[in-house]
Amino acid sequence: MGKAIGSEKLGKLFNGKARCRKRREWRGFRDTWYDYTRWVKIIWMLSKFMMHPKNVKGFFRYRWMVNYLAVPMMIDKHSFGLRGNHLRICREEYDLIADDVAKLLTMIFSADQNLGAKPKDSAHIILVDENEMTNVLCGFPTLQGLSWETASSYVCCLLKGDSAAHYLDVVQQMGLPGDVCPMPATEAGVCIDDDMPILGKCAVQCNTTCDGSLLGNGVISRKLKAHGIPVFQLAVPMRHTEEGVQEYAAQEIRNAVKFIEEQTGAKWDWNAYFECAKRINIGARECSEWLEMTKTDYPQVIGNNILLYRETEYMAIAGKVPAFAETDLKITKLATESYKRKEMLAKEYRHRAVIWGVQSQFYTDVLAWMLNCWGILPMFDMLTMIALDPISENDKEQAFYDMAHQYENMIMRNRTHGGYEVLLDDLWRYCAEYRADMVILWEHIHCKALNGMHGMFEQQARKRGIHLVWVNHDLFDPRIIPRASLRQDVNRYMRSVLCEEPLDPSLEEIDDTNNW
Amino acid sequence: MKDLKHLYYFEKLLEDANNELVRRAQADGDICVGNTCYQLPEVLMDLPGTFTVRLRAPKTVSMDMGTYYMTSMLCDYSRALLERAIEGGYNFLDCLMTPDGCTMINRCVENMELLKVNEKEKFFYKYLEVPLKADDNGLTLLVSECRKKILGGLKEGYGIDTSDVALRKAVEKHNEICRIITEIGNFRKDDIPRISGYEFHIICMVSFVCPKYLIIDKLRETLEELKIREPDKKFQYRTRVVVVGSEVDDVDMIKLIESSGAYVCADRFCFGSLPGRQEIILNDKEDVLTQICRHYMLDCMCPRHMDTPKMNHRREYVDEIAKEYKADGIIYQQLQFCDPWAYERMIGAHVLHDEYNYPVLTIDRPYSVGVSGLLKTRVQAFVESIEIKKIQGEKK
Repeated sequence: MGKAIGSEKLGKLFNGKARCRKRREWRGFRDTWYDYTRWVKIIWMLSKFMMHPKNVKGFFRYRWMVNYLAVPMMIDKHSFGLRGNHLRICREEYDLIADDVAKLLTMIFSADQNLGAKPKDSAHIILVDENEMTNVLCGFPTLQGLSWETASSYVCCLLKGDSAAHYLDVVQQMGLPGDVCPMPATEAGVCIDDDMPILGKCAVQCNTTCDGSLLGNGVISRKLKAHGIPVFQLAVPMRHTEEGVQEYAAQEIRNAVKFIEEQTGAKWDWNAYFECAKRINIGARECSEWLEMTKTDYPQVIGNNILLYRETEYMAIAGKVPAFAETDLKITKLATESYKRKEMLAKEYRHRAVIWGVQSQFYTDVLAWMLNCWGILPMFDMLTMIALDPISENDKEQAFYDMAHQYENMIMRNRTHGGYEVLLDDLWRYCAEYRADMVILWEHIHCKALNGMHGMFEQQARKRGIHLVWVNHDLFDPRIIPRASLRQDVNRYMRSVLCEEPLDPSLEEIDDTNNW
Repeated sequence: MKDLKHLYYFEKLLEDANNELVRRAQADGDICVGNTCYQLPEVLMDLPGTFTVRLRAPKTVSMDMGTYYMTSMLCDYSRALLERAIEGGYNFLDCLMTPDGCTMINRCVENMELLKVNEKEKFFYKYLEVPLKADDNGLTLLVSECRKKILGGLKEGYGIDTSDVALRKAVEKHNEICRIITEIGNFRKDDIPRISGYEFHIICMVSFVCPKYLIIDKLRETLEELKIREPDKKFQYRTRVVVVGSEVDDVDMIKLIESSGAYVCADRFCFGSLPGRQEIILNDKEDVLTQICRHYMLDCMCPRHMDTPKMNHRREYVDEIAKEYKADGIIYQQLQFCDPWAYERMIGAHVLHDEYNYPVLTIDRPYSVGVSGLLKTRVQAFVESIEIKKIQGEKK
């Protein structure tokens, strides 16, 4: 164990009994010290968070809040095996996300009627869906768009794999079958279980990723209506690549803006919007820069560390928080340094993989495991390839089409809707562009849009000579398919089909059953 | 009751997607337009020189190929259609139009396209964007999509006349079918109905899967027959139910419910008549296509319509028809793995039970129910529970 990458047998860190790993990873003095200080900073941030009386109330009011104890561990999981600048990039990304989520929670609890707040306390808050873009709020600098689902469901599952189990049981007891996507089902469960914070002047719901998501909103809107919170349903076209639907999409954005103005009395501010647009463009430009490096033999910003950061940035932030644009530039600087030094993220890259499909929310760090165990370089995830086109920074009419484009192409739906071309053809195009020889295809067993193309993926991959590794999971529910099973899917392929030996044999079989 | 003269003939027509009347119409030179959903205005595909059939896969047993391409987690209907398409069961179609409605049907048709299941030279696929809300913006979208893809497709592909005159003629024919079906359906409101839910389901379904001009005479004759049909002396069933939910094109489904003692007095499901067989009332002031599209958009009861008024209306509508058709209870059913109806079933069942005080049974079912003992037991138990409630109510 030491400074050199891959010098420690990482499998030794796992202990099936404990929630955490046995000990912190030793990365040489400099990196270990850096990592430790950032870890302490997160602990301090959590302590500070708990000093706010409303947050203490929130912590004891909501069952899902207990998952936030695992924040430090969550960041550790994603910095697995990293050294030098890669470790710093990872920390910059996750620490900023953690800070943003802490602010989100504070804002929720400060305005939550369940915790004693009055409706006037949330006069500036507009509720949005979990997977919804928030660009429509860029022109309302005095208002705050937030998603309670992100806090109660999405982040919790990242932190603690089985966090959704209770809510899934609740919603299934109400009669929802177990075969729908567990993400909207969890949100509906939170709502039914009365664990949903009550706040907001109004809400803008959206048909985000899938049929389940669209329909799950129906459960939530009933609850909002019962609390006198008006809801606007922003309908985004499904066949978003077609010219004929763009006017419809832009008109929906105009209608949403009008709804917010009517409900809040706030006026759309073009200056604020274009300020955000500039920062959105910085994010897109820098991300494209990282992806350019990924095309070479020395990728620097990869896998879920690019994904989880970017999805926060393009979706929840949308240029409204300057710190993200600043961090983008920092990341580029660090990545460029490492690129010039030809630094690698693992001691050997055996396969260049595109990660496609819907990743398991309860095991996002499986990509770090793949890299360290098998030398599979997870170049980028399907959900990273979003919002990379520049948008107008001064054209008011074009701005509505830009916003519409961002909504149409929001996370997941840019691939799950829009016809098979964006799901299949684009994958093979990326494989060629990034010289990928392997595709890790998440098969979220309840994602109908992805599964509907199962056979086509197989046939077309075979035709192109690309190794297609299916990794089955159930997105939010490790009770159905546990983490070990995801690893088994990869292990089996690597041993049986490719006849390879692992880079780090200690990782091939690990016991992380009880890990957060 | 005496058997209906044409019922056996209707049943035979439903045994094959490419049925006798479809073949006859194609032999006459008509273009056959396949469709998969109510959200595509049926009347636009029934123009002079064309006819439309809503796709079914009767007598489905194995879905192995459909399952290979789409996994076992997609709804049976979509897998059954794909299976049948791969087997060559839809080779008779001249084109296939589908809305990008539910994901699974969309994927099913995309697979058909990628697999090139239909080799006819002029064959084409059209995917339509259909509105998710019933509002002006949605209407503009639907009109533009229908003009471009349905009318444009038929005109460019097959030289079909898509003028306003042709549209009006199609609406006229459509309305005639609707009037007949509605009149037949109204007999279900009687205390002792002269038609069973099963018979009505068969009659209604043939109107979706056969060229209308070839079936209308027999439908008309059936209506006349029903007017003088002697109903049973005594109501043969133990209770009356509305069946609500996702598509039911399986001839055994309603039969199974009725054989369990529940008369199906109203059909609020895809392939049913509520909605589906309502007349389109046209005026002379507005563009015909817009009027047609508005009718379909407003009448649509698909759960993917996401605006609050439409969501509420779906449940109000079930209440309205339950009252109108004198139902004692409601059966919310969905095809297994159907996401939209999974949610609508859950919410609708609670709303209808808690807010409207109906006994509600919720079931999910395979595409072909056959003689499912499990389903039968559940319906029987539901019937008994309604009876017990009635007895308790009478005692009070």
